[in-house]
Amino acid sequence: MGNYFSSMFDRLWGANKELRILILGLDGAGKTTILYRLQIGEVVTTKPTIGFNVETLSYKNLKLNVWDLGGQTSIRPYWRCYYADTAAVIFVVDSTDKDRMSTASQELHLMLQEEELQDAALLVFANKQDQPGALSASEVSKELNLVELKDRSWSIVASSAIKGEGITEGLDWLIDVIKDEQL
Amino acid sequence: MAPLDKKIKKFLKNSIRIAPKISDKGELAELRTGLVSQYPQTRKDAIKQTIKQMTLGKDVSTLFPDVLKNIATNDIEQKKLVYLYVMNYAEIHPELCILVVNTFVTDAQDPNPLIRCMAIRTMSMIRVDKILEYIETPLRKTLQDDNPYVRKTAVICVAKLFQLNKDLCIELGVLEDLSNALGDTNPMVIANAIASLTEIYNLDESVVPLPTLIQSHFDQFLNALNECTEWARITILTALSEYRAVDSLEAQNIIDRVTAHLQHVNPAVVLATIKVIIKNLGIIDGGQNSDLIMKKISSALVSLMSTPPELQYVALKNIRIILEKYPEILTKELRIFYIKFNDPLYVKLEKVEILIRLVDPSNLKQCTLLLNELKEYSMELEPEFVSRCILGLSQLGIKYSDERFIQKVLDILVELLESGQDSIKDDCCIALCNLLRHCPTNASMSKNVCSLLNAWTSPVTLLQQDSAKCNYIWLMGEYPQHFSTLNDKIDEFVENFSAESTLTQILLLITVVKLHNTLKGSVLQTVLECATHETSEVDVRDMAMIYWRCLSIDDSSALVSQLCNLHAPVINSTIDTFSPEVLEKLLSQLGTISSIYFKPMDDSMRKQLQHQNIIKGKHFDELQSLAKNELESKNNDDILLDFDSESVNQNTSGQNQNNNLLSDLDDLFDFGATSSSNNNQRSETATEDMNKLSLNNTDSSKLNATSLNTDDLLNLF
Repeated sequence: MGNYFSSMFDRLWGANKELRILILGLDGAGKTTILYRLQIGEVVTTKPTIGFNVETLSYKNLKLNVWDLGGQTSIRPYWRCYYADTAAVIFVVDSTDKDRMSTASQELHLMLQEEELQDAALLVFANKQDQPGALSASEVSKELNLVELKDRSWSIVASSAIKGEGITEGLDWLIDVIKDEQL
Repeated sequence: MAPLDKKIKKFLKNSIRIAPKISDKGELAELRTGLVSQYPQTRKDAIKQTIKQMTLGKDVSTLFPDVLKNIATNDIEQKKLVYLYVMNYAEIHPELCILVVNTFVTDAQDPNPLIRCMAIRTMSMIRVDKILEYIETPLRKTLQDDNPYVRKTAVICVAKLFQLNKDLCIELGVLEDLSNALGDTNPMVIANAIASLTEIYNLDESVVPLPTLIQSHFDQFLNALNECTEWARITILTALSEYRAVDSLEAQNIIDRVTAHLQHVNPAVVLATIKVIIKNLGIIDGGQNSDLIMKKISSALVSLMSTPPELQYVALKNIRIILEKYPEILTKELRIFYIKFNDPLYVKLEKVEILIRLVDPSNLKQCTLLLNELKEYSMELEPEFVSRCILGLSQLGIKYSDERFIQKVLDILVELLESGQDSIKDDCCIALCNLLRHCPTNASMSKNVCSLLNAWTSPVTLLQQDSAKCNYIWLMGEYPQHFSTLNDKIDEFVENFSAESTLTQILLLITVVKLHNTLKGSVLQTVLECATHETSEVDVRDMAMIYWRCLSIDDSSALVSQLCNLHAPVINSTIDTFSPEVLEKLLSQLGTISSIYFKPMDDSMRKQLQHQNIIKGKHFDELQSLAKNELESKNNDDILLDFDSESVNQNTSGQNQNNNLLSDLDDLFDFGATSSSNNNQRSETATEDMNKLSLNNTDSSKLNATSLNTDDLLNLF
């Protein structure tokens, strides 16, 4: 009973409400590194994520429930399990991986067609900018056909999870959009 | 700035959610929305609800992906609940289990040992092939963990992994880690490592050198013994019982170290300790020392008799095995095995077994006391118990083997027969015949018994059991002179020949052949014909054939008289015993289930019992399509599941599903019908076959008969 009331109050005041943010992208794009960059501000050594990582972080007075889903071919079909009630999607692209740009684009557009993601904002990280031969943000944007996206707030930010560049900028933009549109 | 209508819509949606709305989709949908709620507390409540439904036996497996989302949490209570759910439903959703792997691996490195332990335990418990691929790192880490609680769990997980995937387990090399765990500092880890190794050894003897490991670690085992829980003690003691001491000094040392555990409250520990002691008892220098040990064992066994009846039963079974090896061990304690009026039947029966075995045949006083006890018991109400006691009386008489004593037993039996009802006649008949077979020379006794049994008007209907009838018929064959109405009785049995069971038929055949000179009429002819024509039992038929041939030989009188004068050998004991090999095996398996069934565990049997139902060999594309179907059918599942609890079945959207379901059901019934008709056909053909067989039988018997005739003819010439 107590739980029931506490959850009622949570709802009434909007306290404890968590925003769901998904971090998606092909395998090896740097999703887990970005997540822990956001969470503890450090670079952690990661292994391919089989399944998911989830962390809760407070950012600008908001509680964010950030889900980092594994990007391997075998796990991609299960992304859709997590689409419900998602406020925003962070799509991470390995800017140096030119061969798989088209695959990334395909996965991105397939995902955005989902009914449950119609209201979600999209932030694309053109990751691994620290590496030589990385495509710039605008080049990645072209490869991913981002201009085609209608009815959706989206942005692309060049980033380097290892160096910590561009991550907070991207997130700032995302939070502003969410605050504007959804709260 | 977002458009205003979007904002208003969002606001309305949120404000409606303030009031908990009752979903029209049913409980499952409600739980699902709860599980993916944005509020942590709501999610936790939903998980609790889900687990509640699960424990009530309701199928909540469709919520699997949604429950999984809640596995990554810092709330240990919630984590435990989700793990519980995953354990329960992983086999239904093997393809989705892959989503949990990352959490398992992370949790296995959690600072909290409870979580580390939980993660590795659950991971090795899930019988899904895909998950096992990722077990290496967490298993290695937990095997080397600082915390003994985690180590002891990881050690068990190796055995589980071995059972699920033997090759992987060998490849990972964790078996060496397991062997090293025998030298652990913590007794619990040692005990679990032994248990794990034993399990693996039973599955495949070639992988772990268990006997040598035990041989080299037995000192650690003895040290660990005093500091661990009762279950661990049983495991360690069982391992110790496999240890072969090198000399009498070491054996003495082992016995001294384990003797303290004879006083443990747990009977299983006591039995395991006795097992170790008995194993080493043969090696030590005998004399006073072993007498002392025997005394200790005996008092431990006596204390087992003050446990609840279920445990008493197990103890009694084990005592029976021990008694067989050391008959003198409990002779002074006969009294505690006397039956109490409130003992359950199974304990009573087992106690009679012990009493009969325990009584010292050189002690008249004790035997007389027991005789009186048994007499009392025979007046009880439970038929099984009474029947066992009557048999016990005869066993006691044969064991004491004194004419006057046997006379006493006889008197009791006669008394029982006079006072008792028909149901005990079977047992009395067997008991009397057994006594007669023990002392065949006692003329007055045989006369008394026969006249008593002769007084029964219709033994065919009076006696129910096969063995009782056999005994009665044997008695008639053995002492025909004491049966005044022999002819009538035999006739009656012969009339009923085809309805009797094989043993009775055989005995009847033998008896009639034996008495063919004294019997009137054509009884012999009738029996031989019945035995060759009317029975489908090969043994009976063959026997009849042989007798028939013997009787038809010309100068057969010598042969026949030789046949007829054969007597059954004198019996000296009717108490069952084990063969020496079986006894040795059973002694090494005291306290196990084989000690209750008296069937030594056969290793090959055990291996067959191991079942492996892991979901194996599913490839990625297969898993993908499985997952897609899974997710697409989600909505349908809701309707299907509500279908049995709610009235949605009239719903138009559910109609299709219902039709499908019905047609499925039809299919099922069709299948059932066809299969049953198949069965019918099969049984028909079977009966036809049977008919053919029996035809063949009669044919062959006819053939035989003709050949007999030709034989006769040949003999004539």
